[in-house]
Amino acid sequence: MKNPFQDFRSVPYHKREIPLDRIVRAKEETLELLVQGYLQLVEEEVRDLVWLVEESKVEKAYNAAIKRIDGSLYDADDIDEFCALLDSSNKLPYLISGPAGIYISALVNRAQEDHIVLSPKDYERSFHFLGYKLPEGKTLVLQGDVGDFTGSGLFGGSLILEGSAGNWCGAGMMKGEIRVTHNTGQNTGEWMRGGEIHVDGTIQSVGTKFYGNTGYRVLFGGKIYQKGKLLVPRALVKEG
Amino acid sequence: MRRDWDTLLREVWAKVREGHLFPELPQPQWSDGQERVALEIKDKKISLSRPFVEKMSENMAEADVMEGLLDHAVSHHLSCPWDFPTHMRLYAEAKKTLKEPRLAQLATDYFMDVVADTYAMRQRETPLPKLYEHLRRDEVDEAIHALYQRIWGVDLGIKGHETVSRRLSRIPYLDRRRWTDSIRRFSKVLHGLLVKEEEDQEGANDDNPMGNHDLQQYSAQEVEKGLQDLAREAASPAEFKEIIEDFEEEILEATEPNEEGMGLGPGRSLDADVLYYMKLAENYALPVCTVPTKKSGSLYPHHHAPWEVGMPYREIDPWTSFGKIMPGITQIWKRREGDIFGEEEDVPDCLILIDSSGSMPNPKRHLSYAVLGAACAAEAYLRRDAHVAVYNFSDAHVGGRRNLGYTDRRFDIYRSLCHYFGGGTRLQIEDIEALQTDEVPDIFLITDMQITNLASLIELFNLRQNRVTAVHIGDNDSVRTFRRSMAPRKNVSIFAVEDKQSIPAIVLGKVKEYLYS
Repeated sequence: MKNPFQDFRSVPYHKREIPLDRIVRAKEETLELLVQGYLQLVEEEVRDLVWLVEESKVEKAYNAAIKRIDGSLYDADDIDEFCALLDSSNKLPYLISGPAGIYISALVNRAQEDHIVLSPKDYERSFHFLGYKLPEGKTLVLQGDVGDFTGSGLFGGSLILEGSAGNWCGAGMMKGEIRVTHNTGQNTGEWMRGGEIHVDGTIQSVGTKFYGNTGYRVLFGGKIYQKGKLLVPRALVKEG
Repeated sequence: MRRDWDTLLREVWAKVREGHLFPELPQPQWSDGQERVALEIKDKKISLSRPFVEKMSENMAEADVMEGLLDHAVSHHLSCPWDFPTHMRLYAEAKKTLKEPRLAQLATDYFMDVVADTYAMRQRETPLPKLYEHLRRDEVDEAIHALYQRIWGVDLGIKGHETVSRRLSRIPYLDRRRWTDSIRRFSKVLHGLLVKEEEDQEGANDDNPMGNHDLQQYSAQEVEKGLQDLAREAASPAEFKEIIEDFEEEILEATEPNEEGMGLGPGRSLDADVLYYMKLAENYALPVCTVPTKKSGSLYPHHHAPWEVGMPYREIDPWTSFGKIMPGITQIWKRREGDIFGEEEDVPDCLILIDSSGSMPNPKRHLSYAVLGAACAAEAYLRRDAHVAVYNFSDAHVGGRRNLGYTDRRFDIYRSLCHYFGGGTRLQIEDIEALQTDEVPDIFLITDMQITNLASLIELFNLRQNRVTAVHIGDNDSVRTFRRSMAPRKNVSIFAVEDKQSIPAIVLGKVKEYLYS
């Protein structure tokens, strides 16, 4: 009797591996590490989901972020993708703009590349503290509007913002340069110790408290330019 | 001597089919098309351009050219886009990122090509890389081929495009669950190059050598079913319109409009709002009571409900389940104790009274349960070869009304249902009387009941013997008044619609006691 199934036979099938598999796997492992680092930072620093901006707290969060990413191997593309991941809230349990921005800044500051471009315009949420403590030799280009405290504590790096910044742009910056193609909010350059801020659009207000205030409204070594003209220090103005 | 072209194609096709585990596709054919475009897929039929193959055979064996092209075409069928709704979903995501329809179409086409080709590379040994090495390229093609070099580990002779190809290479093309995110990233990275390509071409239509991805590749049935799926998934008519309006001509061409299919008459334009409710209504199959009944105590199929695993197969209604047994698609009959069939009758025509006053949502902006409910009712009667009339009212006494006489033209019916006045709410009883016929049509009323002359309507229903299905959206004092007034009437059934899920529970023309016995 003829076997009606004789034409059916097993076909050996071996899954071929192509370089894409390796690239995607490596990327996902890196992203997983970055996400874990962020979640630990949030767990430790922002237990109650309330995060107040205090200089010591910001510093502490930044140091904790640096500790988390120490030794991690990642590049600018990983940072960009991590930002996109943070932006899509369904993938991470919570996003707090302050610590998220500090964590991204820590990633930028410790990245292998010296020139990094991020596109906040692609994100629905706005991040604060982008460019925090950007060190000398690094350039960070931000395409789109950003939140508060952009470029705060800048440490010699070059921050180019192709958009507008929120309040306290360049607050407490030490050295380096911030260039803003559009506008900045209130208290621009508050507590500024050095470096330059160039704004092509409007400045809602400049900071009133400056480092080393000795009774004069003066920036110690820091300069703020608006549309190419020096805005501060324009002149020494005696307080009271 | 060169073998016969047809024989060669048959041999290569047999090899490709086996390599792809015998996809359900018809034998490809030759076309005497252009030298520039290698293949075309229309209604699942693959056509290879003989001039293209002849030209490419200067660089590689004819059989390899054909095999590469067929691998590409079959991979589109097997992996991406797979079906019409996936194609539309990918386009919608690309458009969200790129904003411009033309750029979004380009990005979607490139993305689908990358996925299909990479799928083919993963699946089997394919001469695709050799084919791409000799294909003409513009700048975007170069970037894509640079990407192929990275993710396939081949040399296609491309130098440059390092940044773009590196960023593109991080996308998990073969993970279809993540295509939504993937195409967004893909579009973002390619944005600059796509803009440049569009500017360079200045709107000229430069054909993709590996075939254009127009909607004609899908069968009319696929497009119809796909539109139903998209309408069901869309959060609002506006979202549906956003996707569909850019493909108006192609959808009309792909579906060959006729009264039995899309329901659009010749020369009609595609109205995305109408299409949305039309396709959404097709997802619901409301039953219409057709026969005189009397109390029997036995169970009879009353309304539909979604079937879930574990429910009895014998209650499945194959006619409304598209012949499939799958949770989410299959529908089951819910039985109720009640009536049995007596003497058979036809389904009468139906007069739909729909409220489009300001208290109802604008069906063009938000999903209107009133329009959807009325559309489902119209579909139910049309399916039974009955005719439907529409009385769409707002401030009827000052012209805020739209009458449509009895017809079976779906498009006209939907146009009347989707019309929105947005004013006050007052009926003209004489308009309704004018639509009464000797055959005693069924009446389907859908409103929030906040009608200023509700008492006149109640009086009309008390006088008339039409079977009335009254559906109210929401709950208010007027609804309670109407329910109280109609309680003694056995020819009036009242239903509440709170959400989409309430619609299948409506049984049209239900009567508590047969009127003419």
